[in-house]
Amino acid sequence: MEVMLTVDNLEKSFKDKKALKGISFEVRKGEIMAILGPNGAGKSTTIRNIMGIMYPDSGSIKFHNHQGKEIPRNKIGYLPEERGLYKNVKVMDILLYLADLKDYPQDKAKERILMYLKKFDLEGKEKVSIEELSKGMGQKVQFIGSILHEPELLILDEPFSGLDPVSQELFKEEIRSLADKGTAILLSSHQMNLVEEMCDRLFMIQNGQKVIYGTLDEVKTKYANFKCTIRGKNNLADLEAIPMVQRVEEKDETTVLYLDQAVNPTSWLKSLPDSINVQELKINRISLHEIFIDIATNKNLIQEAGDSNA
Amino acid sequence: MRNSMKIAKWEIKRNLKNKSFVIGLFLTPLLILGFGFLGSLFDSDDEPEETTVFVNDQLEIYDMLAETVAQYDLEWEIHQTKLAEDAIQDELENGENTAYIFLNEESMENGVIPVYTTDEIDSSFSTSVQLLANPLQQVRIAQLNLTDEEIAIISSGVVFEETSAEDYHASGEQSTIEENPLEKLVPGLFAGVILFAIVITGMMIFQSASQEKKDKIAEIILSSVTPGELMNGKIIGYFVLGIIQVVVLLVFVIPFAVTKIDEPIIEYLLVPETLLLVLIAVLGYLLFAAIFVGIGATMADMSTSGNFQGLVMMLPFLSFALIGPVLGDPSGIIAKVASYIPFTSPGVLIMRLTVLEEWPWVEIAIAVAVLIVSILLFMKLAGKIFKVGILMYGKNATPGEIWKWIRS
Repeated sequence: MEVMLTVDNLEKSFKDKKALKGISFEVRKGEIMAILGPNGAGKSTTIRNIMGIMYPDSGSIKFHNHQGKEIPRNKIGYLPEERGLYKNVKVMDILLYLADLKDYPQDKAKERILMYLKKFDLEGKEKVSIEELSKGMGQKVQFIGSILHEPELLILDEPFSGLDPVSQELFKEEIRSLADKGTAILLSSHQMNLVEEMCDRLFMIQNGQKVIYGTLDEVKTKYANFKCTIRGKNNLADLEAIPMVQRVEEKDETTVLYLDQAVNPTSWLKSLPDSINVQELKINRISLHEIFIDIATNKNLIQEAGDSNA
Repeated sequence: MRNSMKIAKWEIKRNLKNKSFVIGLFLTPLLILGFGFLGSLFDSDDEPEETTVFVNDQLEIYDMLAETVAQYDLEWEIHQTKLAEDAIQDELENGENTAYIFLNEESMENGVIPVYTTDEIDSSFSTSVQLLANPLQQVRIAQLNLTDEEIAIISSGVVFEETSAEDYHASGEQSTIEENPLEKLVPGLFAGVILFAIVITGMMIFQSASQEKKDKIAEIILSSVTPGELMNGKIIGYFVLGIIQVVVLLVFVIPFAVTKIDEPIIEYLLVPETLLLVLIAVLGYLLFAAIFVGIGATMADMSTSGNFQGLVMMLPFLSFALIGPVLGDPSGIIAKVASYIPFTSPGVLIMRLTVLEEWPWVEIAIAVAVLIVSILLFMKLAGKIFKVGILMYGKNATPGEIWKWIRS
């Protein structure tokens, strides 16, 4: 697939704190690429550097399909993390203005605005002033503003934050369909379930450093090992003695056994000793959500999993 | 530049659609007219009332006095009276705006003429009454039986005629036609109004920049344009809004002024001097606009502004503090120095050029040059501050931080 954006070895410091320590990734045409990471990991900083709102200390950002050094602002759609619109203007006016700034023809923009307002359940709101809209509605208007000019590259910083489930679903569908039409999409989020459902590739970042980078499937097979959750009163030492168990976590009467990568679930189940007290037993893969929590809380699960795979 | 124009257009449109701006737009001239009208109301109260003047004339020169009164158009109602000096006590106590003049041999000889007035008397009376001194003096001289020549010499008196070195050289082309003070005043007033209106509108730039931060829309806009374009767009946009304010003001005030004031105001306005004055006003705007847009980007909202920002906001009003000394001595040291300080120079220059007969061209050139250089400098600084400040959410920048941005 055609690469639209390459970020290479990006570094940026604020005062003495290094916010980005050599970030590299690329975004391809027609894919959804997710930047994941806990608050303060450097997601928004990375995106702002791409948008030219900040300048990196070192490293390069290259927009393919585009000659010259300047950022092809007209071809990029951007939804920043900090949400806001002018308060006392009408929905139609501000959207037309945003389209105009992108050099998008006004008549075509008008058509698309009405189409999108309808799609996002805001039909008839074009003459309403922004301050009369609810927060969610405002966010929809902003989202429309970022995709109105048919960008080739769409950058969404936390697009789902503050949305109700229905609107989340709407956004998800629209983002997916834009990707299917060939838009390269870079989105940042900390809502793992949503990202897991929609992204093609992901880049996980912690403390300004890459933790994981790859396609969703790769990441899942590589990092998302099986884990077995057992409810029942057991001796910790007994559980740790079970073969292929990397780590045991105990909480009240529930124990989670993290298994080796190479484990075969059925044969492993057979190897469980009879002495174990099982009220309930569940075996499944570690979810992105858990990987994320692990990273955010600085446990070294990933490191271990990564090392054992190395 | 194209993007700047788009932003300028947007700012203009947004404000013109904003009710409070439109109300303000029309309220300003109405207020000015209102005060003008109120002023004329009070004026008409002050209109000099006719003073009743009784003359006890024992010299038979009443007719001559009446003639003088008519000649100077005094607001007097003049009568002859036979009342003696000691009989007017009652009349004075009960009367109002009344005066008694006693002309007799004795007073003519002394040259001191007793005038008795009521407690309430028109304020202009004591000056008006002096006008009678001259004809009375003539009468006294005539009594001396001199020749006409002698009379002419005596009554002409002695005056000093002053000629300064400059006038001495220029005496050849000296014109004796007295210039109408309004003729000089009108272009200056016009430029002053422009400066004031666009600086006031310029303060909206400040609001607009900090509002952009508060509404958190800056990042979206900056994904389409560069910070420099955004800043320039705002400066241009608010300049046009200021001009719109001036035009609305003039549309209201000029017809009013033309009908109220009996002078060819339009003619006075359409002189080349107006152009220079307006240029100075525009330069003043650009300077303050650059400062405001930069400072506006450093703060989240007006209510949390620190002392530093507050001080900067007061800069345009510095020239108001100098009105007294500058008008008092338009070529004095304060006026000269203030012309070279960029913050005060637009206001002070306009004041000085309005008052001064001869324009100090060298000083004007230097002052304008200083102004232009500082505009370029402040635009550059504002650009740097704006770039960082506009994206800093949630807190105001300290002067230390601003200094760091400038140096970076």
